[in-house]
Amino acid sequence: MGGHEFDRLDGNESICDHIVELTGGPRPKICLLPTASGDPEDQIARFRRSFGGRGCEVSQISLFRLGADPIDVSAHLLSQDAIYVGGGSLVNLVAIWNAHGIGDMLELCLDRGILICGQSAGAMTWFEYGITCSSGLPAAAPGLGVLEGSLCVHYHRDPGRRSRYLADVGAGLPAGYGADDQSAMLFVDGRLTEAMSFRPGAGIWRVETEGDGVSEAALDLVERFHAPANGKQGGAVEDFRALNEWRRPGGRLRGR
Amino acid sequence: MESGNPLLDDFLRSLTGLKKPRVCFLPTASGDADHYIVRYYNAFRDSSEASHISLFRREKGVENIRDHLLSQDLIYVGGGSVISMLGVWRAHGIDEILREAWERGIVLCGLSAGSLCWFDEGLTGYQDQSRRVLGLGFLPYSNMVHFEVGSARHGVYEDELKAGLRPGYAAADGAALHFVDTEMVQVVASRPEARAYRLDLRGDRPKTTQIATRYLGSADHIPLVGESSLPWASSPLAA
Repeated sequence: MGGHEFDRLDGNESICDHIVELTGGPRPKICLLPTASGDPEDQIARFRRSFGGRGCEVSQISLFRLGADPIDVSAHLLSQDAIYVGGGSLVNLVAIWNAHGIGDMLELCLDRGILICGQSAGAMTWFEYGITCSSGLPAAAPGLGVLEGSLCVHYHRDPGRRSRYLADVGAGLPAGYGADDQSAMLFVDGRLTEAMSFRPGAGIWRVETEGDGVSEAALDLVERFHAPANGKQGGAVEDFRALNEWRRPGGRLRGR
Repeated sequence: MESGNPLLDDFLRSLTGLKKPRVCFLPTASGDADHYIVRYYNAFRDSSEASHISLFRREKGVENIRDHLLSQDLIYVGGGSVISMLGVWRAHGIDEILREAWERGIVLCGLSAGSLCWFDEGLTGYQDQSRRVLGLGFLPYSNMVHFEVGSARHGVYEDELKAGLRPGYAAADGAALHFVDTEMVQVVASRPEARAYRLDLRGDRPKTTQIATRYLGSADHIPLVGESSLPWASSPLAA
């Protein structure tokens, strides 16, 4: 996903509807990895509100609070239907996952056919490189390299990233994609099978060298513009309720 | 940063020898949690030139981390996940900068994960599980925190010593191990009952020795320690 915050764009969460559809199950289990932002409670609450409200069994793994809430991370991840990787700092995400061995666990999840999705840093981390502001200004940083090439998110919302990406690809960074907020690509076994747009105007471009320069070629997108279902998405009140709901059984430090 | 108990914070400032030292907080181990950063500023903003560095939001805040850290009098490392923190630090080169800060004589301190990180090895232990984590290695010992009287951690530490962990120091919440260079010079405490320990092997038997502790408050004034919602918010510290 080229960018998808749960509260962005007037509650357009059609991308979440599609994720639930892709899992195919009646009550899919979906786990959030909010690592890239340092496991903030507001992101966790919004995720729980959004996917909990879509009939999913929601959970999250906080690698910053494992001490307070020890769980078998590998077993929990392997029991999911989908894993959602949140945005934040790509550099920190990769560093923390390496420190905890999460990358290997997630590759095992992929082998088992679990759907893995991510937005922003959580999307770029699957590629060889992403364009991140993890160190301040936009710069290329390595991801896990499960998917070939590179990805630049927030493509037109953040012009500094796009110009950095074009320059870097021109200078030898592996070719890849520039993706707008509310766009997404589906990869099956490492191959792009579908590119999608969830809002009018959201696009994805193939970015590669061409002659002496760099070309941007728009991908054909499947449009999945849904009206927000039942009109109650994205509200601060619902976020707050989801946060309280999560805190209730064991206090704020409950990881699940 | 203990709630309602500034004794350790005051002690740390005294180590700088300055009236209003420059203090920088590294909340990395908490994932740069907002409420923790607020807590830090509440504790330090009046008595020092307080700043913090967020490694999750580098597009905002301090631009040159190295220059900023090396210009401090005191660097305070917050608690949380030591594994996550060290991973992030290495990715941003903070480990190298802290070594430079240490060599320059900047006072380095921290609690919980912020204590473990200075040692060769930190021992984390939750609910019967223990894990040895390689730290920055400035102090050639092992370390364990939240080492309360009667805690299962005493047994965990002794077992790890038998399994080859190098000797080291453990501290209960409210106790602080003070090192100068690599030598432990004193234990101070913000609570009269807080204790710290030296753990060695004698032959092949682990031995836990309690270290004399200097309570920082006056004998007739026992501070009220506020209850914390965070397990690492008011706990041991290495300075």
